[in-house]
Amino acid sequence: MKKIDRKWAIPLSIAICLIIMYICTVTGVASISFRDANRILLHEIFHLNVDLEGISNGSITIIRNVRLPRVVLGFLAGASLAVCGCGFQGIFKNPMADPFVLGVSSGAALGASIGIVLHFDSRLLGMSGTTVLAFAGAFLTILLVYNISKVGKKVPVSTLLLSGIAVSQTLSAAMSVIMIMNKQSMDQIMFWTMGSLNGKGWNQILTVLPYSLLGILLLFTTCRELDIMLTGEDTAIQLGVNVEFLKKKVLFAATVITAAVISVTGIIGFVGLVVPHIVRMITGPKHRTLMPLSLIFGGTFLIICDTAARSLAVWEIPVGIITSLCGGPFFIYLLSRMKKGGNFS
Amino acid sequence: MSGKILEFSHVAAGYGDREILKDITLSIHEGEFTGLIGSNGTGKSTLIKCISGLLPLNRGNISICGKENATLKSRERAQLVAVVPQSYHVEYDFTVEDIVMMGRNPYLGFRKRESQEDYDIVSEAMKATNTEVFRGRFYNELSGGERQRVILARAIAQKPRIILLDEPTSALDIYHQMEVMELITKLNQKEHMTVLAVLHDINMASRFCQRIVMLQEGTVFMDGTPQEVINRRNMEALYHMKLMIRESPLFHKPEIVPIRVMEQEKIEVPRHIHIICGAAEAVNLIEELDARGCTVTAGVLDKQSEDWKICHQLGIPCVDIEPFTSVTEEKQAKNLELMKDADMIVVANVPFGEGNIQNLHGLEFTCGKIYIHKNALCDDYTDGKLAKRVKDIEKRKEITYFENDREFLDLLKQTERQ
Repeated sequence: MKKIDRKWAIPLSIAICLIIMYICTVTGVASISFRDANRILLHEIFHLNVDLEGISNGSITIIRNVRLPRVVLGFLAGASLAVCGCGFQGIFKNPMADPFVLGVSSGAALGASIGIVLHFDSRLLGMSGTTVLAFAGAFLTILLVYNISKVGKKVPVSTLLLSGIAVSQTLSAAMSVIMIMNKQSMDQIMFWTMGSLNGKGWNQILTVLPYSLLGILLLFTTCRELDIMLTGEDTAIQLGVNVEFLKKKVLFAATVITAAVISVTGIIGFVGLVVPHIVRMITGPKHRTLMPLSLIFGGTFLIICDTAARSLAVWEIPVGIITSLCGGPFFIYLLSRMKKGGNFS
Repeated sequence: MSGKILEFSHVAAGYGDREILKDITLSIHEGEFTGLIGSNGTGKSTLIKCISGLLPLNRGNISICGKENATLKSRERAQLVAVVPQSYHVEYDFTVEDIVMMGRNPYLGFRKRESQEDYDIVSEAMKATNTEVFRGRFYNELSGGERQRVILARAIAQKPRIILLDEPTSALDIYHQMEVMELITKLNQKEHMTVLAVLHDINMASRFCQRIVMLQEGTVFMDGTPQEVINRRNMEALYHMKLMIRESPLFHKPEIVPIRVMEQEKIEVPRHIHIICGAAEAVNLIEELDARGCTVTAGVLDKQSEDWKICHQLGIPCVDIEPFTSVTEEKQAKNLELMKDADMIVVANVPFGEGNIQNLHGLEFTCGKIYIHKNALCDDYTDGKLAKRVKDIEKRKEITYFENDREFLDLLKQTERQ
């Protein structure tokens, strides 16, 4: 596959992303005319002195406090998950790795279910109880998986993957037990695990943003070393990469990001797996291009999916279902095409 | 000799409870091209892993350029030592230039990105290995030999003081084997890079290395020049097989000729067979009869002829003369003495001239059965003396003729059955 010139790839992607963000903000179930929506946007974003007369307050609120934050959070969540996916696929040298491969999602889900069942509501640091517990669950899970896998000072990638799967399965089972014992909360827990941006506002964005920014910045510093990791761990050591430190750095950064994002949105699958994959097919495996483009397209992908989630039916569909519904078949299509043409990278 | 660049003192290392390296003490000097040989599982690759920081030591220490290896950060180590592994595969689509640029990693950091200088070094490294023509192609799409050159370019881009090679030619055809070895020699001679190479091919090691270190059971078994290390005693201790060492006439380096690993089927009633030869055509027959348990003697042989060399290597008793001299009556008397008790006397495929016709003198008075290779009678440079001599023998004794070695061995089996 011909690799697109790197110089143009990023500006072009940003442009596409902005256009899609705009389209998604002006579309939705509420009947706000295209012209009104534009006027509100100009007023809200660019603070232009646009005449908002004749537009109902409801419409302004919908754009300002519902659609705009959803689009921004959608971008933030999608971008974060996709960058984490890149990092994980890099250190595991496995194109099937995603941000949830080590059981972060199960940990978060268990934490969230406990929060939901106990009606835990602490409002700690401006976050709801469910969010705090989900975040804690995610973090504790990774700590557990990491310590199980440790052999001396090293953490072999294969044991890390296996213990990730084992811990994840155990935690899922524990969550099922909680659900069965608390049938009245089952719906709520189910919805949480499907992931949704519904009802999220600027507050949640501010909660997630610092973690995401920190994590993404950290991951961006690992680009060159992740490239070398893809050629093999032994080679990486021989080329001067501090492999164990790199693993810790990526695990830590990705866990911070993933935990922060899914504690707010619930589990949104497939973005972290599919987006880095598709971008790699187009740009090649070099993380210096792969990471920023995954960030842009991850964000864009989730915005589109979320717009579909809130517009396709009269009731809200959890966005996690949409990402899997769109991502799965598309992925299968790509795999079957790649099978004829060679490798996945 | 310049200073020690790599020092091992009482190094022991292994995997889990299995200790592969037991006690290695060795110094490599700057600018040396050292070959590391040894049979499978003796720890050659393990030693390379220890130097490159992949495997911690159980005991002892390694120092690189005077610095303790265990205390070096992987970055620092990668600036001193580069490793070229066996040809290996990368699952992702990196271009050749990407791969070579990875060699600059030890000099780059999060804040220090690739500079023009790094690009220049990469270009030079590709030039030195003839890989610049495919700098934009995917590493995956190259052939084995091309890939190995790219990996060599990456090692050069590391600007190391020592290059470690772990069986660098094992997956390559002879053209590419030679190409890689010549490139390494060039690096060693022109760039004064110290080279330590694990090699399976003893002849390659003998030819290219100034020094050969032979490992056995986790210790240094022999250490010296190719002439000192590659001899029959050492090689048989190393490989437990039948082999021959000779000097390559082209490079004046010892050369190993593997003969066989599995024991030949023995002849039930071992016989004494005397072979009259002296050129190069009886080598196979001598070796095979010896391997099958026969008592073999030979004569009269020109020293330095191939037949003489194999007798010499296998310790077969023979009568010999200086090269390009004639067989004297005295020598032939010794020869007849040697074949006195022989059950069979074989005249191998050897051309007869004035110098060696004496070899057939007195054969009619021996007690062994006489066998003559038909070709021996074709090349007659004796003006008819050969034919006359054979006729004279035939007057007193029966002669059996055979066309090739295989036929003779069949005849041998037949007599065994009788």
